[in-house]
Amino acid sequence: MSEFRFKKLALLIACALPAGAPMTAMADSDSVDRKVAAEANGEVVITNVSGTVDVRGWDRNEVQVTGTLGSGVERVDVDSSGGRTVVKVVLPHRGAHDGDADIEVQVPKNSSIDVSAVSADVSSRGVLGAQRLKSVSGEVTADISGNDSNVSSVSGDVTVRGVGKPDSLRVSSVSGSLDVTNFGGKLEVVTVSGDARVSASEATEIRGRTTSGNLELRGKLSKDARVDVEGVSGDLLLHLAAPGPLGLELESFSGDIEGCLAKGVERVSKYGPGVRLSQRNVENGPRIRAKTLSGDIDVCDK
Amino acid sequence: MTTPEVKRKVRRLDELAQSVPPPRDLWPAIALGIEAHERELKQSGESQAPGAAKRRPAWWMPAMGMAAAVALVSIGVFIGQRTSTVAPSLVAGTQQTGDPAMVQAALRDANYRKQRDALLVEVNNRLKSMPEDDRAKVAASLKTLQRSISDIEAALGKDPANALLQELLVNSCQEEMRALTAVRDSGSQET
Repeated sequence: MSEFRFKKLALLIACALPAGAPMTAMADSDSVDRKVAAEANGEVVITNVSGTVDVRGWDRNEVQVTGTLGSGVERVDVDSSGGRTVVKVVLPHRGAHDGDADIEVQVPKNSSIDVSAVSADVSSRGVLGAQRLKSVSGEVTADISGNDSNVSSVSGDVTVRGVGKPDSLRVSSVSGSLDVTNFGGKLEVVTVSGDARVSASEATEIRGRTTSGNLELRGKLSKDARVDVEGVSGDLLLHLAAPGPLGLELESFSGDIEGCLAKGVERVSKYGPGVRLSQRNVENGPRIRAKTLSGDIDVCDK
Repeated sequence: MTTPEVKRKVRRLDELAQSVPPPRDLWPAIALGIEAHERELKQSGESQAPGAAKRRPAWWMPAMGMAAAVALVSIGVFIGQRTSTVAPSLVAGTQQTGDPAMVQAALRDANYRKQRDALLVEVNNRLKSMPEDDRAKVAASLKTLQRSISDIEAALGKDPANALLQELLVNSCQEEMRALTAVRDSGSQET
């Protein structure tokens, strides 16, 4: 009897093993491959908590989602209606941080996109419409050409490249660093403690604010450009070439004003702290206004 | 007071204006009174002695003097009020009773602090759910913001009228609210 029972048990185990193995594999790493029709100028909204989101613009009027899903991911919803396509990575319950999903989303190139992530890294390329990219701690890397774009993070680093000179862009982070290159048009850059670097190309308006991070603006300004930047303890470096003479209005409460244009810096008060540089002799043309509490201002037109 | 010269700061009594015009021009009413008096005299047929017209202004001179004195006292009271109430309120940010603008500002300030405190509670809850590294980075940034606001306030304490500091303070408070809101809302993608 006992020998018979042992053989039966061994047989059951032997049968169960091959059946169980594929199920485990599916749970560990699943894949997604969905495609839906979309409008050429529609909106695509993508939500993913962790993992990666890569958005690519293409010539088809379709949205295609491909990628791999971690064990904590329940499913990926892809719905399209009324010019709006929603791609959402669904986790089984709130706060499931182990649910990594690495997805690539192909969208019609003229779409506008809205991507939200928590710790997922976000990247986009080849999208011509407006982009709203947001991540909490993930890195955001984007080629931006659409107007009214907005890229933000809380602690993640942001890298943005202007393509085709977008008209307006806002880039912000709390503690992440910001890197904006080849930008022309209107730009707003805001950081708290992260450093921000901007390389401008015929920029028409730049507004910037930093608390303790350093802010660097380099490149070219357009005719009649306006630059308005402010720092608390962070330093401001403003090396901006312009087609004509620059109007300057710079002031620091306890920092210094230096650089190749820092001629004629004067004390604000005979007895108190503070320096300023004011060159308002230019009626028209590009102007720079900058102020800090304790950060230094380095200004040059080369 | 309506005269523009009283708006500047006066530190010594001898800096006060030597001649202060009355709040309104008294002459038209006086002239009318003189004319009426002359008409009465003409009508009553009373003859006038030469030089009598010169003596007549003497009756309104005290009125003019009284008006000037009242104006001077008003200026003094005004200056006293300005120097004893406005400057401390800029430093401490406290409200002064009786001035509707100050009361409104105090209410706004109280409302702002209430909203900020509520936001801080939500932000702290959000920070607890963040991975440790991110939590440390974000918390450090928020502390940096708070410290910078304190630094600006301290500088304003020494130089309350500094326009640069006032602007930096307003912008820093706005930036803090924006950053707190961004951190609070950063968990909304998880739902």
